[in-house]
Parts: sequence; C-alpha cells; structure tokens
Amino acid sequence: MIRAAIGTGSDRLRARLAPHFDRWIQRRGRSQPPMRVVYRQIYVLPTRFGWLLGLLMFGMLMGSLNFNNNLGLLTTFIVAGLAVNSMLMAYRNLHGLILARSSASPVFAGQHAELHVSFRDADGRERPNLELASGGRIVRFSVPAANTTDARLPLPTQRRGWFKPGRIRLQTSHPLGLFEAWCWFWPEGQILVWPRPADHPPALPSSGGQALGRRRQRDMEGDNFHALRAWREGDPLHRIAWKASQHHQTLLSREFREEQAEHLLLDLDRTPGRHLEEKLSILTAWVLMLEREGQQWTLRLGGSDHGPASGREHAHHCLRLLAER
Amino acid sequence: MSWTLAALFVAVLPHLLFMPAPVSITILALLGWRALAAWKAWRPLPGWLRLVLTLGLFALVLVAYGGMWGRRTATALLCVMLAAKLTEMYRIRDLRLVASVCFFLIATQFLFSERMIYLFYLAAGCLVATMALYQIQQIPPERVERIDRPVAPDPRLTARAAGSMLALALPVALIMFVLFPRLSEPLWGLPEQAMDGRTGLGDFMSPGSIANLFIDDTPAFRATFEDGLPDRQYLYWRGPVLWNFDGNTWRPGYHSDRPAEQPVPITDNSIRYRIQLEPHERRWLLGLDHPVRSSLPESSVTSDHVLVSRHPVTGLVQYDVISTPDFFDTPVLTSFQRRLALSLPEGRNPRTLALGAELRERYGDDRELIASVLRWFSEEAFYYNLSTAPLGRHGADEFLFDLRTGYCEYYASAFAVLMRAAGIPTRVVTGYQGGFWHESGGYLLVRQGDAHAWNEVWLEGLGWTRVDPTSAVSPLRIEQGARSVVSGGRFLLDWPWVRDMLNRYDRLQHIWNNWVLGFNADRQRNFLKRLGLPDLNTLSIAMLMLAGLALVIAPIFLVLLKVRETRPTSAAQRAWMNLLRRLRRRGLRKLPQETPDEFARRIAAEQQTASAAPALLELAQLYSRVHYGPPRQEMSEEFIDRARRFSWR
Repeated sequence: MIRAAIGTGSDRLRARLAPHFDRWIQRRGRSQPPMRVVYRQIYVLPTRFGWLLGLLMFGMLMGSLNFNNNLGLLTTFIVAGLAVNSMLMAYRNLHGLILARSSASPVFAGQHAELHVSFRDADGRERPNLELASGGRIVRFSVPAANTTDARLPLPTQRRGWFKPGRIRLQTSHPLGLFEAWCWFWPEGQILVWPRPADHPPALPSSGGQALGRRRQRDMEGDNFHALRAWREGDPLHRIAWKASQHHQTLLSREFREEQAEHLLLDLDRTPGRHLEEKLSILTAWVLMLEREGQQWTLRLGGSDHGPASGREHAHHCLRLLAER
Repeated sequence: MSWTLAALFVAVLPHLLFMPAPVSITILALLGWRALAAWKAWRPLPGWLRLVLTLGLFALVLVAYGGMWGRRTATALLCVMLAAKLTEMYRIRDLRLVASVCFFLIATQFLFSERMIYLFYLAAGCLVATMALYQIQQIPPERVERIDRPVAPDPRLTARAAGSMLALALPVALIMFVLFPRLSEPLWGLPEQAMDGRTGLGDFMSPGSIANLFIDDTPAFRATFEDGLPDRQYLYWRGPVLWNFDGNTWRPGYHSDRPAEQPVPITDNSIRYRIQLEPHERRWLLGLDHPVRSSLPESSVTSDHVLVSRHPVTGLVQYDVISTPDFFDTPVLTSFQRRLALSLPEGRNPRTLALGAELRERYGDDRELIASVLRWFSEEAFYYNLSTAPLGRHGADEFLFDLRTGYCEYYASAFAVLMRAAGIPTRVVTGYQGGFWHESGGYLLVRQGDAHAWNEVWLEGLGWTRVDPTSAVSPLRIEQGARSVVSGGRFLLDWPWVRDMLNRYDRLQHIWNNWVLGFNADRQRNFLKRLGLPDLNTLSIAMLMLAGLALVIAPIFLVLLKVRETRPTSAAQRAWMNLLRRLRRRGLRKLPQETPDEFARRIAAEQQTASAAPALLELAQLYSRVHYGPPRQEMSEEFIDRARRFSWR
C-alpha cells in the first residue's frame, strides 16, 4: 500500500514535471520535423546490459589488478575500449540524421494511427538499427547511406478530435547494445481522429417531417419540374415542352420529380443516442454506410447544413466535422 | 546465436584442455546439443530437466575435482554453468549474458598462463565474442522473447564490424594498460597454483626428482647480465639447500629459513644481473652464489644464502640481483650445524660408511680426501645419464658399488653420504646450472631441464665450498649443459632445427615477458619518470590516464563523425553535385536536410531578384524526377545538358 502510495505520488510528480521537461527538451534545439539531430539533443546512457558488462569488467579489473595479471588487464581494457566505442557509435548513429517530415492519415478512435516519419541520411553513412519508440511500442528500421527511409510507428488513439502525439523517442543501441543513444521529437501537426463508428447503428432515418425515402425514386412523379427529356410514347400531351421542342427540332417532354427524394438528411439533434458521443458514433457509421452505397446525404450540425453531396471527399469532410464537434 | 556459441567455444577451449575429461566432454556435448537445437529448431527443455541438469553438472565438477576448491575448480564451475545456461538460452538477454561472460572466461585463463601464445587466444576470443554481441544486436525487438531461428547477417559483414570495433578499442586499451594506476601490494591473497600440475624444482630431492625435469623444456627463468655472461663455472643458480637425509629423500633443515647472520659484501668481482623468473609456486628466487640482495620487495637472503620471497611466486617476477662469488661462507660451524651436516640415517648404506671410514683413515686432509673421491668418480666406470633406477634401502651403496650410473641427484646424494661417513660436514644444494646463452637476445635462458644438484662441503678455513661430483663424472655437463651429455631425443620432434625455433620463440617470449607481463607498479613509475613525470601518486596517474584517453578518443570520434562525401552513382547525380558545387561558390549552400526541391524554393524565396531562380527550380524538379523516378535515358540526358549550361546570375 505504501508502495502504491509512493507510486501514485511519483506519478503525480512526474505529471507535474512533464511539461517543464518537455520545454527543456524543446529549448535544446528544433524538435519537430523537418529537423536535423544534433549533439544538444542526443542523450547517451548505458543499457541494462551495459551496466551488467560494467559489473563484469569491474570484477575482471579487480582480479587482474590484484594478481598484477597483465593479460587479464589487457582483456579488461579491450572490453572497456569496446564499451567506449559502443558509446561513440551509438551517438554517431543518430548524429546528423534528418527527420524530413512526419505525417499520419486520419483514423477512427480506438484504432492505431500510423505515424510515418521520413528519415534521411546526408552524411554518407548507414544508420542501422534505429528504433522509434512510443508508449512501449518499438519499431526498428535502418537508413541506408545517403538515402531515405520511411518508418511507421503505430500510435494508439482513444478520443475523437485532433490528436497531438506526445514526444517520440528515436533511439539506437547499435552496435553492441551496451549504450543507448536517443533523442526526442514531436511529430509535425496533429492527427485527426474520427469518432468511432457505432458497431450496430440503428436504421437510417426515413422520416423527420421531410420525405426521405431510401431508394432512388426514378419513376415517381412529383410536382416539381426536374428536367427535359426526349418524348416517349405515352407521355401526356400537356407534358410536351413545345417551345423547347421547336427550338431543338425534336419532341421533348417535361419531367417532374418529388423534391429531395434522392438524399438523406442526417441531423445530429434527431439522431438516436443517449449522449453526444454515442450520437456522433452513429452518425459516423451512417456516413460510412452512405458513402459505401454511393448515396447523397446532408449532414446537419447545429443549424448548418453540409451537403447534399456524395463520395469520399464529402464523407471525409463530414467525418472531420463530426470529429471536431 | 551461432556466434554466441562460437564465442563460448573459443573462450572455453584452453580451459577444456586442463579439465578432467568428463567435465570437458560434458561442456562440449552441451555446446553441440545447443547448436543442433538451434539448427533443427527443437523445443526448449522443460524447466525441471534444466534444474536437474544444472545440479547434476554442479555435482560433476565437485566430484571431478575431489571437492578441492581452487581457481581451476572455480573456472571449471563457471564454464559448466555457462554450458548449462545454454539450455535456457532463448532470449536476447541470455545470449548477451553468455557472450559477455566469454570475455570474463578469457581473462580467467590468464590466471593460469600468460604466455605469448595466448595473445592469439585473446584476439580470437575477443573477436568472436564481439561478433556475437554485434549479431545479437541485429535481432529485431519484436523477436525479443524467442530467438529460435537464428538471424544470420552476412558473417563477413559481422566480422568486419567487430574487427573494426576491436581495432578502434585498441588505442583506448593500450592507454589504459600503460596508465591505469597499478597496485604495488595485492588487495587480497595471491593464488597458490600457477603451474597447472607441472612440477618444477621441488623443495626436496629424491632419486629421479631432477632427472624427471630433464624433459621439461619450459623456461624456468632468464637472466641478463650487466657485464656479459660470466664464466660457466659460476653459473650455479642456487635453489633450496638440503640438510636432512632419511635414506631416500633430502629435505631442507628447519633452520634454513632464518635470515643470514652476516651480509654478503659487494666486491669488485660481484656479478650484477637481472632475473625474469617464471612462476613456480615456491618462495625461493634463483640467484648465483652468493646473492647479496635482490631488488624484489619483501625478499631476503636465508642463512643458507638462498634468495627467498615472502610470498610464493605465482606470477612472472623480475628483479635485479647482485652476487659475490668469492664469499667466505660460515667461517665457524656451530656444533649444531656440524651435527646436522654429519647425521646419517641409522642402519643404512654399510658399505658406503665403511668406505668413508677407510678414506678418513687414509687421508688426513679433507681436501685430499675429496679430491680422491672425485678422481675415483672420473676414473672408474661411472656413467652420467638419465636412468632413474629406483634405489632400495641402501641407496648410496647400490649406486656407488653396483649401479654406477645415474643423474646428478644420484651423485649428489651418494657423495653427501660418503662425505658425512668420512666426517666432513656436507649438504646438498639444488637449483639450476648453466643455461642457453641467447646470443642475439643477450640473455641466458635457463629451462627446467637445466635443474641440477650439487654438494657443499665445509672445510676448515674455506667455509662451505661447492663440490660438484657430476663435473667429475661428466665435465661436459657443466660446460655445455645437460643436453650435451644425454644422447638421443628427449621427446618427439626433438631435432636441432626445432630446438632452434624454440630458442627463437623464446627470444620473443623474453621480450614479451619483459615489456608486457613484467609491467607493474614499479615499471609504470619508471616509465613515467622517463617521460619527465616523477613521483606521481595514484590520483595523478589516474588523471594522466584520463587525459591520455581524451587524447586518443577525440581523433577516433572525429573520424567516426566524419561526413562522407556521397559518391555519385549516376551521371545525373554527378551533374547535380557539380551544380551544387558551383552554387556553393556563389554562397548558395544547400543544407543537408533539404531536398533538391526545397533547396530551390528557398533560394527562389531568398533571392527574388535573381533571374535564374525559376530555372533552378525547374532543374531541381527535373533532377528529383530523374534521380528518384523510374530511369529514363532521355530525361536524364536532358537534365545533364541543362545542368551543365545553367549558370547563376
């Protein structure tokens, strides 16, 4: 229990210090792509294995010193030299590396946003065994000499809206795993997180005071003029557009349709659901459904209408509005 | 995985040679099993079986070493436990543990031997262990938990990476080796064993004990003289002096450890030399008759005029000695000493006793008596060779009257019995005689095979005087060494040219011992003194080391961080780099993180008046398409052409 108390205490302390720490890191150099990793941003510490080897080295050192065993000492010092090189090479693996850009496509809340970070080497040396780490997730990649590589780091999302990923660790313990060099950066911009689509959305609204039908009503006659078309046998005479027919040198009929019969109105206020999140969830599911079926719809959010339109672009626009709501 | 197993194999190899066969076979079997398991992707052993195996191996080592605790047992246990660890080596951390303990194993080997040949072992072991660590690092993190399937990067690449890491580690290692503050006193006890079961000169002498050393070609010590090699007759390297005889074995007197009563003076004839003594687990230090003092701290001269150290010599030691050959040893013999030097076991060697009494009657003068015995040895059919016939209860009788053939300890023992029977105080001195003069190296190499035994008789007015009965039988032995009088090869491949090679190799070993193994606190201080830094304390030596390290690491670091000029891989890239160079001369520098396009845009934004800016932007875009897009010959040619003609205005 005491331990738990200490744990929460240290968590609280950490939470309080985190912003200061972040600011301190950011003061040390540009920490957002496009950036070039420079010495002020690189931190190097031994790994756990590094400490273990250090302990082993200490044992070797004491034994060899005591017996004045020169070959034993030489072995110890060679290991020490390897450790020093390991530290330098871990540092050099990061130094000068360029983070050209970072981006992530929008995802639904609860999914992993895949952050693409584009790395480039301009120093003419290979950067093997680099890792991106965030929240316990690690991806490994390498950057070839004088070349570019994209690394993809999945970031878990929870809430809809604009997600600002926290700092991401670019680390490496190349070549021997004795030392880890790392630097921190923040991805460019924010990641759009759409609301999570409802698993079992209710049926699409069919009423709501306006004639909202589900199927396209091609043949249904209405009061509103819709278009002119070539005369077909059986068209009543009063439908013939005489003036236009004369003009076009062919018989044309006037066609009438029921107004607004071809698209749906999705109104946030009329959407079933206990609370806003649930409603947004259902709306999201509807938008996806309509987009898939190639229908037109209008999204009404707090008095402003978006649409009617159809297609992917409209869907993304709507999803974004829903996310930002 | 593969290199980790290889690293362990290389590291345990020399240890295996000195282990009892069951232990080394078990270790090899476990290594083989693990390699096969990795290859065939066998399942790991169940936990209980691993536990049983580990306990079983532990018991095996304890039984194989008879419960004796020592460095050999400890390292065998370490090797066996590492082999047991192989059965559960399925995670990165296990692999790393095994690979890093390999370095430790390599270092422990040097507790047993530091011969130069082990330099290869050190290099190979470190290389393979580094390769293993490098290979482990290549295992991607998602496979942290199970690494059954070996990841196999190109072994040549691994070897090259590990090799260059080691090469870069060497300067650091050398600086630390020279400047790391050394201990002048050990922190805890020194190990007892250093000989790995080999026998050197013992502190007692029985028939065959010295003859057995004859085939041992390992160096005992080396000596360099200040004024050149002294005359052969002086080359008696004094070891233990033996007083007590039980009929078979000679042992030191219990008073032998007392310090010398009177110091040996230094005269004009004194010989000054430096000894490099191989570890022999005993306390005595070899020196010529009669040692005055040695430069080794905590060494002294006993009442028998033997140089001894306070601790057994378990590592290579080097010391300077001054010896005075013409020293009047013990002018007056105490009655106690006389009694001891005349005592003989009861009821043994009746014929020798009778001969002694007869000689005593015939010669009044001790010197004449001795001369007559030596004459007898050389004129009668006495032979000097390696036959080590076991002697019975009346050993001296058998030897003097029946056998008449044997090695130096037979002569020394029988001569001492005869002298004592004649009433002349006599003792046996063991040590080494002669040695191989290494002309080009300028040092004398004394091997275990040069071990020798002789006598000292106490004469009125002369004190203890050396008498070597062997020289009477076989003068060549003294002049040219033991090898000259024993015919035939002592072991396989004992040909002159092999011996010559061994002698040449010993030259290297001598240098190695002198400069590498003999480097200790004293030599470190001398070295610093020569650098003009006298009397540094430990802390300032440590600071000096840090400064040296900084001096070495800085250039390494600079080399590592050097930006390598990208070598153009295509004509288009060459043209682009050429263009960039021309722009750089105009003060327009492309930043490393910029793409060609970004660079051109920035230039266009910064230099709005420049008329060439739009053309540059077009060129940059064209280059991006040529360089990163699918290869198209005519586009590439167009770019090259335009890039050539481009000039900044």
